Amino acid sequence: MKLDFSVIVGYLPMFGNGLLVTLEVTFCSLFFALLLSIPLSLCKISNIKPLQAFATFYTSIFRGVPILVQVFMMYFGIPLVTGLRFTAFAAGTIVFAMNSAAYISESMRGGILAIDRGQYEAAMALGVHYPAMMKDIILPQAIKSVLPSLINEFIGLLKNTTLIASIGLVDILRVGQLIQGATYRAFEPFFVISLFYYVLVMCLSYLGKVLERRVNKSDRG
Amino acid sequence: MIEVKNLYKSFGSLQVLRGLSLNVEDGQVVSVIGPSGSGKSTLLRSINLLEQPTYGEIWLDGKLITPPDPYLHFDVIRASNTYKKLKAAGGKSDEELIADIKKNDLLKKHEGSEYAAMLKDITGKNFQSTNEVREKVGMVFQHFNLFPHMTVLDNMIYAPTTVKKIPKDQAIERAKQLLDSVGMLEKIDVYPGTLSGGQKQRVAIARALCMEPEAVLFDEPTSALDPEMVKEVLDVIKKLATTGITMVLVTHEMGFAREVSDRICFLDQGILIEDAPPEVFFSTPKSERARIFLDKVL
Repeated sequence: MKLDFSVIVGYLPMFGNGLLVTLEVTFCSLFFALLLSIPLSLCKISNIKPLQAFATFYTSIFRGVPILVQVFMMYFGIPLVTGLRFTAFAAGTIVFAMNSAAYISESMRGGILAIDRGQYEAAMALGVHYPAMMKDIILPQAIKSVLPSLINEFIGLLKNTTLIASIGLVDILRVGQLIQGATYRAFEPFFVISLFYYVLVMCLSYLGKVLERRVNKSDRG
Repeated sequence: MIEVKNLYKSFGSLQVLRGLSLNVEDGQVVSVIGPSGSGKSTLLRSINLLEQPTYGEIWLDGKLITPPDPYLHFDVIRASNTYKKLKAAGGKSDEELIADIKKNDLLKKHEGSEYAAMLKDITGKNFQSTNEVREKVGMVFQHFNLFPHMTVLDNMIYAPTTVKKIPKDQAIERAKQLLDSVGMLEKIDVYPGTLSGGQKQRVAIARALCMEPEAVLFDEPTSALDPEMVKEVLDVIKKLATTGITMVLVTHEMGFAREVSDRICFLDQGILIEDAPPEVFFSTPKSERARIFLDKVL
């Protein structure tokens, strides 16, 4: 079969829309994942047993169940039981955010535990209260040290969002499937999609490196 | 100003402090010396409530900063169920009973409502919150513990602005003065990572002072420094000692302790062995243990 990329050209605006959806889902999920991961990681290092147990249980659920199953559960399963209906976008974003939060909170926990005891003691000796100490002294340092794994998580999240095509949201993968249906060509659309993802991930990696260098400025001076 | 009463501290089965009492008067400079593992640092950390004492009390400016220790209050012991039970059994005098209870640590967690009410009363009358204590007592650590993600200036003004709610420009003004007095003003905008150990410690001292504490505790401030940097830090501390601020200093620098201190407290195995002016302590130590220690370090 001869390759013919010219069939793609007419669909380029569709690719654009799909890409937009993919990016929207990714960034929304990331935002909420970060927001959620901080209290989760604080629960994990807390001395209060029920909080600890809750956070550990939470993480085990999202680690233990395949993410596609989670998406189906949120989109098809939960509405039947609770009567709450989510749009595909909402269902996907919620699942991806909660799922990433579980993983990020785990590395954040490690990052917090790696902070020298002396930092807590210095803050306490200055009379700094626990919330301010965590917010201004401990978490900034912890986040800095987990930045590489955060970037990894971000990349994983971006690729995971393809699963949202399975509940009908027209992301960039779904655009490919639509083109395949219309033109009976598979290589060209999926090749273009692969390219899109590859370039996106490379950009993210590069951005991560730049970011890492910037926040490490204080170490080198 | 600082009053330590019969302080005990154990970590698991390890007894670090075993009944240590110490008074530090306003404006005094007290050096705490002794062999490693004698409890010097634990004493200092207890005063700043980084450690909770197992038994004993610490008073700061006439206020109780630790939970009350029932063994230090005879009337509280007399209110306990244990005392009442032993008393009913008869056979011993009041003093003997109390001595017995103290010696064998007979008081339990719950000793009846009268006992609990008395402890609560002591707390209520005298208690000072942990953060009030820490605003009054500054601490300088062996490993500096500057915040690496903040510039020198931010390290200085963070606590004054967030804890004491001092206006930022005022805090900056004060930080500049203090940095100038420790010779670090030119480094005001750099991150701690670029400073030498001696410079870091000088900033750490200035940071503690920025909270305007009544007393500063120094926990082996020069032990983590390269030899050529010890002097610059000691000079700063020496200068501070002349300002009339109360200081408690754990140190291995004997010459320095002799020079700046009003009193030397010699600790061994968690007990205060000697408490004397430096000229007396270093020339004619009373105890055998202090003599052996001084022979080794001088």
